[in-house]
This record gives sequence, C-alpha cells and structure tokens, in this order.
Amino acid sequence: MEYVGKNVMRVDALAKVTGLAQYPGDIDLPDQAYMKVLFSAHPHAIIKQIDTSQAEALPGVLAVLTAKDVPNNEYGLISPDQPVLCGPGSTKEFADRVLTVCDQVALVIAETEKIARQALKLIRVDYEVLPPITDPLAAMAEGSPILHQELNSNIFCKFRIRKGDWESAFRDSEVVIEDEYVTPAQEHAYLQPEAGVGYIDEQGRVTVIVGGQWTHEDQEQIAHSLKLPLEQVRVIYPAIGGAFGGREDMSVQIILALAVQHLHQRGISRPVKIIWNREESMIGHHKRHPYIIRLKVGANRDGKLTAAQAELITDGGAYMYTSTKVMGNATLLVTGPYNIPNVRVDSTAVYTNNLPNGAFRGFGGPQACFAIESSINKLAEKIGMDPVELRMRNLITENDTLSVGTPLPRGVTIQPVLERCARAAGWVKTEGGWKYPGSRITSDGDRPHILQGVGISCGYKNVGFSFGAPERCTATIELYGESEIEKVILRHAGAEVGQGSHTAFVQMTAQALNVPLEKVQLIASDTAETENAGSVSASRMTFMAGNSIRGAAALALSKWQAEERPVIATYEYRPPKTTPYDPATGKSEPNFAYGYVAEAVTAEVDVETGQIRLKKIICVDDVGRAVNPQQVEGQIEGALVQAAGYAILENFIQTGGQVLTRTLSTYLIPTILDIPDVIEPIILEYPDPIGPFGARGMGEMPYLPLVPAITDAVHAATGIWFDEFPLVPERVFNALHQ
Amino acid sequence: MTEKISLTVNGKLQTIEVEPEMTLLDVIRDVFNLTGTKRGCDNSTCGTCVVVVNGKAVKSCNYPISKAQGATILTVEGISQGMTLHPIQSAIAESGAVQCGFCTPGIVMELYGLLEEKPEASEQEMTNALNKHLCRCNGYEPIMNGARVAQELIKERNKASE
Repeated sequence: MEYVGKNVMRVDALAKVTGLAQYPGDIDLPDQAYMKVLFSAHPHAIIKQIDTSQAEALPGVLAVLTAKDVPNNEYGLISPDQPVLCGPGSTKEFADRVLTVCDQVALVIAETEKIARQALKLIRVDYEVLPPITDPLAAMAEGSPILHQELNSNIFCKFRIRKGDWESAFRDSEVVIEDEYVTPAQEHAYLQPEAGVGYIDEQGRVTVIVGGQWTHEDQEQIAHSLKLPLEQVRVIYPAIGGAFGGREDMSVQIILALAVQHLHQRGISRPVKIIWNREESMIGHHKRHPYIIRLKVGANRDGKLTAAQAELITDGGAYMYTSTKVMGNATLLVTGPYNIPNVRVDSTAVYTNNLPNGAFRGFGGPQACFAIESSINKLAEKIGMDPVELRMRNLITENDTLSVGTPLPRGVTIQPVLERCARAAGWVKTEGGWKYPGSRITSDGDRPHILQGVGISCGYKNVGFSFGAPERCTATIELYGESEIEKVILRHAGAEVGQGSHTAFVQMTAQALNVPLEKVQLIASDTAETENAGSVSASRMTFMAGNSIRGAAALALSKWQAEERPVIATYEYRPPKTTPYDPATGKSEPNFAYGYVAEAVTAEVDVETGQIRLKKIICVDDVGRAVNPQQVEGQIEGALVQAAGYAILENFIQTGGQVLTRTLSTYLIPTILDIPDVIEPIILEYPDPIGPFGARGMGEMPYLPLVPAITDAVHAATGIWFDEFPLVPERVFNALHQ
Repeated sequence: MTEKISLTVNGKLQTIEVEPEMTLLDVIRDVFNLTGTKRGCDNSTCGTCVVVVNGKAVKSCNYPISKAQGATILTVEGISQGMTLHPIQSAIAESGAVQCGFCTPGIVMELYGLLEEKPEASEQEMTNALNKHLCRCNGYEPIMNGARVAQELIKERNKASE
C-alpha cells in the first residue's frame, strides 16, 4: 500500500473540529495559580528601583518576581543577550537596562488572574528614561550611543561575499539597474496567543506545557536560565495554534518554569498558568525583519547578467534572536537563482530599541527575493526583453556556482518550475524566445478606473539549517506483536504547529514499514518521551523527520527479522554537512537541499482609490514529493495569503519604540474578503536526491516570490515600480497622483 | 458580588453564580470548562469565540452574561452526537480547512448558526458569515469549500428526515 502521496485525513482533524483538542491556554491543573507579566513601559531606560511591596501585600498574591530572582538572568537562541527579567540586583551585568517594550520587568503569581492583574498596577518601577534609537542607520552610525553596554558597537553581524571582479564587470556592462528597496516588519498573528502551564511532574522535573517550535531547545533555554541540569526540565507541546517562526524564541517558557521553581523552593508546590491576551502577544514576541537593500545589477543587451552588488541592512531590534541566521539567508538569496559571475554583497545587522526581529516564514528570503526579482524585472524592461526570457538566459544550473563559490546540491529544477509557471500564465515559447502574447496590461471598458496587469517572479528556498549549524533529527520506532507487526509506536519530538507534520510522520512511518496507518501511534513533542528533532523551521521538518523515520524503520525491520520482540529502534539522521561563510570571501557550502518556486500574478489597481485587488495567483512549487497533497496545497494557499497580507495590507507600526498596532483591529490581516479571487497551486514532483521519498521542504517557498510578482503586475498596470511596501491604498494613491 | 443565572448549555439546564462583569465566553471557558470555544483577541475581531445563542451565531467575548439569562447556548462540544460528527464538522475536517485548528470551533459554530437556520444560504451569505472570522493558516478557500460541502450534507439530511 502507498501511504505517502495520499490525502490522508489529518491525525488531529477530529479533535480540532470537535473542540476537544487542547491548546496551552485550555489546560487547567488542580490548584493552579495564575501569572501576569509586567512589561517595560519604555523602549530604553535604566531601572533604578522596583518596589513590589504593595503588590506583595495584596491579598491573594503568592509571589512577585524580579531580576534578582532569576538564577542565571540571560537567554537567547543564538546569543544569550536578553535578561529573563530586567531590573536591578541581577546576576547579569547591565540587566538593569530595558532595551525594548517587550522586555519583562516583573512577574506576579496570584490566586486568580484578576488579582495578578491588579497587583501589576501596584508595582512601582523607577525608570531613568533614555532616548530610544529606533533607526537602524542611526544605530549603525559612528558615535551612536551603545545599547548593549558590554559591546562597543550596535552592529552585531556582518557578512560579505566576494566573487570575481565586479568592478570591471559593472564598467563593461551595457545595462545597469541600481535601486534601494525597503521592506516592512510583519506580525505573525497566529490565532492562539502565547500561553502555558508549569508544574513539578511526578519525577520532580520542572515541567512546562507550552506552544513552541522546538521542545528540546526550549528545555535547554529553561535549564540555562534556571541553572538546572537538562534532565530536571521537561517541555511538552499540546495542540499549538500556529507559529510561522513566531514561537521560535522564548515567550512564556522560562518565566513559567521560573515561577514554578520559585514557589516549589518556598514549599508551595502548585502549578502556574499564564495566558497572554492579544496585546501582550503582539508586544511580547518578535516580528519579521524590516530590511533596506541597495542592489545594483549589471547585464548586457543580450540579457546575460554580468554582476551584482548588494548592501543589506537590517534592524535586529533590541536582541539578537535569530537575526544572524536570517541575515545569512538573505545574503545568499539576494542574488537569486541566477548564474552571476561577479558578486559583491555586504550585510549588516544592528541593534535598535525596536521590538526584536526574528524568524518568520521565509526567514530573510522574502526580503531578498523582493529586491533581486524586482531588479530582474526592471532589467528586462530596460533591455526591452521579456522577463521570462531574461530569466531563462540566466537561471542557475547544477554546473554553475552560487555567489558563495560552490554549486547547488543536485536536483536543481528552477528552469522547469519557471517554465511551467510561465506557460500556465499565458507565456509562450517562440523562435525568438519566451513572449507574453499581447499586452500585460488590460483594462475594462466598463470600469475605466481599473487597470489590470500581469507580473512574474521566481525564487528558491533552502531546506534545513544552513551555514554549518548542527543539523540532526532523531526518531524512535517501536514494533509490537509476535508473528506480525500488530502495533507501531513512533516517538518523535517534531512540533505540530498546524502545518500537518504529525500526519506526515504517520504516513511516512506506515510507508517505511509497510503497515496500515491505523497501526501507527504517535508519541510526540515531550522531552521526557522523545529525542531531539530540531525545530519546525527552515522548511526542514518533513525532510529531516522523514529521513529519521526511514532510518529508524529500516533498523526496526532488521531487528524484527532477527526475532527481537518488542523492537525498539532509534535513528539519528544527519544530512550532508554545510559550512559557514568565509569571513573574507563568503565562500561556503550553505545548504544541503532546496525547493524551487515561480509565481505569476494578475492584479487590479483602482486608480481612484489606490486599492489593489489580486485577481489570480499561479504558484508552481517543486516539492519533490507531496507526502499529503491536500496539506501541501494548504501550505501553498496559506503562505500566499499571508504573503499577500505582507504585500498589500499588513502595516505594523512602531513609533519611538512603542507599538501602535496592538490589536487585530488595528493590525489588519487578510479576511475571506481580502483573498485573491483565484489561487492556482501547481505541485511539481522532481525528487530531491536525498529527500525522504524524494520530498523537499516547502512550507516557506511559496511565500518568497509573491511580493515582487505583485509589484511587477502593478508596474505592468500603472507603469510605476514600487520599491517599498506594503502597497496600502495610501501609498499607491500617492504614487499614482504625484 | 455575584448573581444567579440560569441557561441551557449543550442541552443541559444550568444554574450558576456569576460575577456581573463576566462575559459569556468567561462562563463557557472558566465555569463550564468548555475550552473548545477560544479566546483569540481582546476586542471581538477574530471570531474564535463564536457560539450559537438561541439559534444565532454570536461572539461570546462581548456578550454580557446577564443577557444570557434563560438562553439556549450551543458550543462546539454540543453539536456532535456521541462519535457521530455534525455534517459541518465532517465537511470541515475533510476539506483541508483544519491546520492549526484554533479558528475551527468558531467557524464551525458560525456555519451552524447560518446553515441550520437557513440551509439555502447563498454563497454571499456564507462569505459574509465567514468574514467575521480570522484564519492565519489556510487562506480561507478550504473553509469555503468545507462550507459548501456542509451545506449539501445538511440539505440531504433535512430531506431524508422530512
């Protein structure tokens, strides 16, 4: 029987449609106390003093915790540069400074949430307010005040790529395009606000039930801040209401563990629960990085690309989070899936007093893709060549080298992907090359104020951790029965955040063992029950888990054949090694696998209002193998609608380090009335040579090329290039009526 | 200061003590422990808290509990019969509309309020109803597809029981 490639119903579908699925905020434990967080009132200040006496005196308050109560007051995914709680008396120097309004200052634990909320208002914090630095360019400038006192610069990450002789290549280029692109922040807006419950489990472990993207990383972060041995900390994920990268860093994990541990040490062994409201969620977690990308691309009249030069600057916000990794990706992807012989890239990430920026679907890819694809479309216009034809003359192949001096892993399919997309959108291949028959701008006689255009773009997205980051994933398979396998247990920590990972795991297990789906039970996402799987990020989980499952299944079957009963087989998958950027040249082997994508957009522009309406998106994705085609389509459509929000609707506003868009009624995400009229996902299956069953990762890639495809369509309709978005009506109207 | 209130929840008449500032959502989640109904925002924007009150889909997060005196409330836990799913639940489960699932109960109850009252609802009426809900995962098309299937299933069921 084939289980991979089938539209199997999700393993969690019934629990979710009946309301029985429990999310972190739905779980209550007997005798639980409630916690609330006091966030910083200022984006930049020194906390001189915190007076918690009135709050502690409020009847029903069990404890008020501040910086002095954190055993090792620091955490961070890449660098432990953030205090768990900011204020005086910390184990960490300079932790008396707040650097952003998402800094947490105090925790109140009380009998009820209401009392905890009242107590927050009784905490007196004496701030010495400092001027916030919110402009990344100002923060980078010589002489800027330093935000992290232990450093001598606000710049915390620099990469460079040097390939060939770009200077003479630009001198000799017949056409050069040079522009500055500006991309906005974006809020994840997963529907389940951060929540969780902590307790001491039956083995005395500090245990947190919470939503996240990597159980074992959460466990490490908690252990680090609480100075506990790893095995004394347990992290369990229940159902999780969306993530998109926004749960990659800590929110309530460490503070829940801290609260439970603190009470326990005082002889109060009670569970502690926290639920953030929407405003706390929007202030309390990171956003997508805004970028400034200055990009210069050279070509000859025959369309052949000669050189590219890029300068990328991103606002990391107050703490590092995953900024260095995001920048690593953007630095690589900013030259697109093209063979460009001469490349210079300089990237800088800088601290400011804005909210931290971090992981969000695409992870630097959408920003980079917007810049390069916009420039490619502009080059095509300037040369007078069709944009598909221009791309076809430059698309990277397995024989070419990337900007970083090494070839892509085998299985490069950008050419058939773009070709399929172009044809689906109406392009034809003629003797003179690819052409769009007729005009890419149309108008409607009845509605003269509506202009309609067609745009195109393509891209590629890495699968898995990049640039030498340790990459592994472990699965355990248990087989029970005597003459035949009666029951299979898969133990896997891989998080289910909504993307369908657990269903894919079960399908791949059934396939690898050749047993019916019904025999496979999943024990998932509990550090006490499962081994490290790495994060659900970087489009990696199907790929990594699939290979770990295949390894464990092969091992389990050989043990079964050797008459072991029951069988327990654990397998750790390690993909081919990647290597970091060489500091001088950027030379590296950045990734072990990729997915390839192309999109065509038909967009309408209302010249009277500046409103953009997406009529149609064609999205062609080489996913290698669609383990569950329905879920793959769900990823494509979901990514496109989220990317459409990023392009034309979502407008996250911070002023002076304060968040102005704190609700879902001021930060607008697409509703059913905002979605494109037609989305046509086209799934291609060119197997990845090392992917499980041929699968590539695909959760992010549909996101990447949408913005430049939309701006290309808008340009086709109006003649205006937008180098900055979101294309909210005001921006479009002003550009049309300048 | 509490007050007494009686209401029927998922077919069972209940009399409870409530604080007057509580919303229907507070009571459903915190008093009855029916956590299928969700809280996703602070200002009745997201639709995850939708339940059916006296046959109509309402946002329970801005529904004062005093207004629920004597009302008949249905939550997502109350519409399946044992292991048999309501047609809306089975259609939504099969259409690909479930990803993270946090929006799902509210959407199921929205469609319940519309389609049980008006099985002949137009496409526009269904879209308008779903426009009260946010989903961040699936792009809405699978939800709409599920709604169309559910509508057909309900019509068939109604015809069969005539």
